[in-house]
Amino acid sequence: MATVTVLNVNKSFGDVKAVRDVSFEVHPGEIFGLLGPNGAGKTTTIRMMLDIFRPDKGTISVFGGKLDEAKKSRIGYMPEERGLYKDLKLEPTLVYFATLKGISEATARERLQSWLERFDLQDYAQKKIQDLSKGMQQKAQIIATLLHDPDLLVVDEPFSGLDPVNTRLVKEIIEDLREQGKTIIMSTHQMYQVEALCNRIVLINRGRTVLYGEVDVIKRDFAGNALAIEGHGDFVNLPGVLETRHHNGTWNLTLEPGTDSQDVLRAIMRQDGVKLERFEIAEPSLEDVFVTVVQREEGERGDNARS
Amino acid sequence: MRGHNFWLVAKHEYAKIVKTKSFLLGTLGVPALIVVVTAVSVIVALGQRGVLPVGYVDHAGILDATVLPPREEGEELVALRAFSDEALAQAALEAEEIQAFYVLSKDYVQTGQMKLVYGQKRPSEVAREDFVAFLRANLLAQQSPAIQKRVQEGPWVTIRSADGSREFDSENILSFVVPYAAAFFFFFAVMNSGGYMLQAITDEKENRTVEILATSLRPLELIGGKALGLMSVGLTQLAIWTATGLLALVVATSMFPDLLNGFNIPWSFIGVTMLFFLPAYALMAGMMTAVGSAVTDHRQGQQISGIFNLLFTFPFFFIVLIMAKPNSPLVVALTLFPTTAFITITLRWAMAIVPLWQLLVSWVLVVSTAVFSVWVAARIFRIGMLRYGQRLSFKHILTSLQGKE
Repeated sequence: MATVTVLNVNKSFGDVKAVRDVSFEVHPGEIFGLLGPNGAGKTTTIRMMLDIFRPDKGTISVFGGKLDEAKKSRIGYMPEERGLYKDLKLEPTLVYFATLKGISEATARERLQSWLERFDLQDYAQKKIQDLSKGMQQKAQIIATLLHDPDLLVVDEPFSGLDPVNTRLVKEIIEDLREQGKTIIMSTHQMYQVEALCNRIVLINRGRTVLYGEVDVIKRDFAGNALAIEGHGDFVNLPGVLETRHHNGTWNLTLEPGTDSQDVLRAIMRQDGVKLERFEIAEPSLEDVFVTVVQREEGERGDNARS
Repeated sequence: MRGHNFWLVAKHEYAKIVKTKSFLLGTLGVPALIVVVTAVSVIVALGQRGVLPVGYVDHAGILDATVLPPREEGEELVALRAFSDEALAQAALEAEEIQAFYVLSKDYVQTGQMKLVYGQKRPSEVAREDFVAFLRANLLAQQSPAIQKRVQEGPWVTIRSADGSREFDSENILSFVVPYAAAFFFFFAVMNSGGYMLQAITDEKENRTVEILATSLRPLELIGGKALGLMSVGLTQLAIWTATGLLALVVATSMFPDLLNGFNIPWSFIGVTMLFFLPAYALMAGMMTAVGSAVTDHRQGQQISGIFNLLFTFPFFFIVLIMAKPNSPLVVALTLFPTTAFITITLRWAMAIVPLWQLLVSWVLVVSTAVFSVWVAARIFRIGMLRYGQRLSFKHILTSLQGKE
């Protein structure tokens, strides 16, 4: 049984269609990436999953049925726009949020100590939240999401505002939770984190599902579309190339759909004075896939508008 | 509704508000102000007789310095000094030996004519009253002590309603003061707590905690819990102010032993107040929540809440009418209208009997409107909470009430 099933969901705000016919499933014990550019409809989809908004059409099932109050207590949600009582002290605020999820105050306090130690916040328990740094507030927000030991975690941009040490810590925690059998839905723009953590993803653009499946399979499907080149020559203005990036002496080329890599090789070799040291059909990064799909969508949209 | 979360929100809200500086200032500030004003009044009153004696020139030959008016134990009378003629009295006044002097004309008994002469400052009312009491005591010197006492104290009128359910003693101001004090307390409570409620809702919108709360509890749990927390804050204020009032009464009674003479504890009034206070408070809390949910920030909410405050405090504009014609149609309408009911009833209580049917109808209306307002607030809250930066239109509010969003 899927932990979350979103089926043909639609949501409009006035004339704006925020989500159109989006469907996906999230399985128990997986880290699922909910991706998309800004304004794609990710947050609206999350809010519908959590019964903050109701869909105009379609169905959403959480833990095998409609989301009720008991099921809400099994969810930990970290919204993109963080929310804590700035003028209250850290410990009572976190304990309050945990008790609202059904655990006793004593249990919340007991668990809180170990989380505060893990995030190196134990000295700030009695400080007002407004007196904490942005990074500390972010860590506090993560604790608020985890303190009641949820079975389903919905985290929106969990790494924003964290330094590399804490980013690694949060990453480890997310992996630990997966090992414990928890389900994690993660929305982020940090594609390398998605690549490192997520089993499966859904990519939403302009409210529609444009990509959905296992990360490895998706990358393999897009493998023919990426090239890694080293050498000297003009690798920027090649025909059939969607995007070119230069990093650490390597040119990473994302090809337009339908472009044959051999045609690109021929175009390079036709250049005068070209010196080719490496030409490799590369597995694209998830970021390449993201950019390719979104740009293709935008291109098609432009074509439709013109015609 | 899960009771657990409802109580948690109420407890959280209560603790959050009572720890704020504005609450401490608002709650302790009012009694502190009363104490200071009372203390200043007492000091001024005690010093009002003035240290200098009051002189008199008795051309009528009716005043005997040994005949003094009856006094309470320990009560001082202003010092009196007799002069044989006006020139001597004038000289004493200029030498600042006396604060003023009275001149009784020869035909005083027939005409009642008397003259008061003073220098830079008019003698205080207390000093003047003391002299009049002295004069009255001398005029009555030949009468029996019972008649003397009756004339000095004046009549003792008890005003009783036709059905015998209520009565006032004309001499006892507390019977009138208590209802007015209750009306003013509610006025302060509305002003204070409405602001807290509005702040609580807009704060959670501004600091984004609302999105986490929305995934932890139902809007009605959140709004109901907040309303209860706020009511507890109101009751705490009431308890502190009542305790201060009682303390002030104890102090005042020790200084003015007659204060409680003829004062009966108005149990029926206290009962009616308690019955109306909580639903009226909940109504206000519900309305403020609805405003807080529909606006984008606290400042915007304050402008609208000012109008809502007016709905509750409106009867004060008609205080003269309520005193003069407490049973006029407009006053009855204000009694029945849910937001104005509490203050109108308390103000009317001091002046008239509020018919039982009006109390019953009014209470039913207040309670049902209060329940409805909390329900409406929860519905508006549901859609309003996540529309950051967007003010809810009337259409949106109607949509939410119909449960379409």
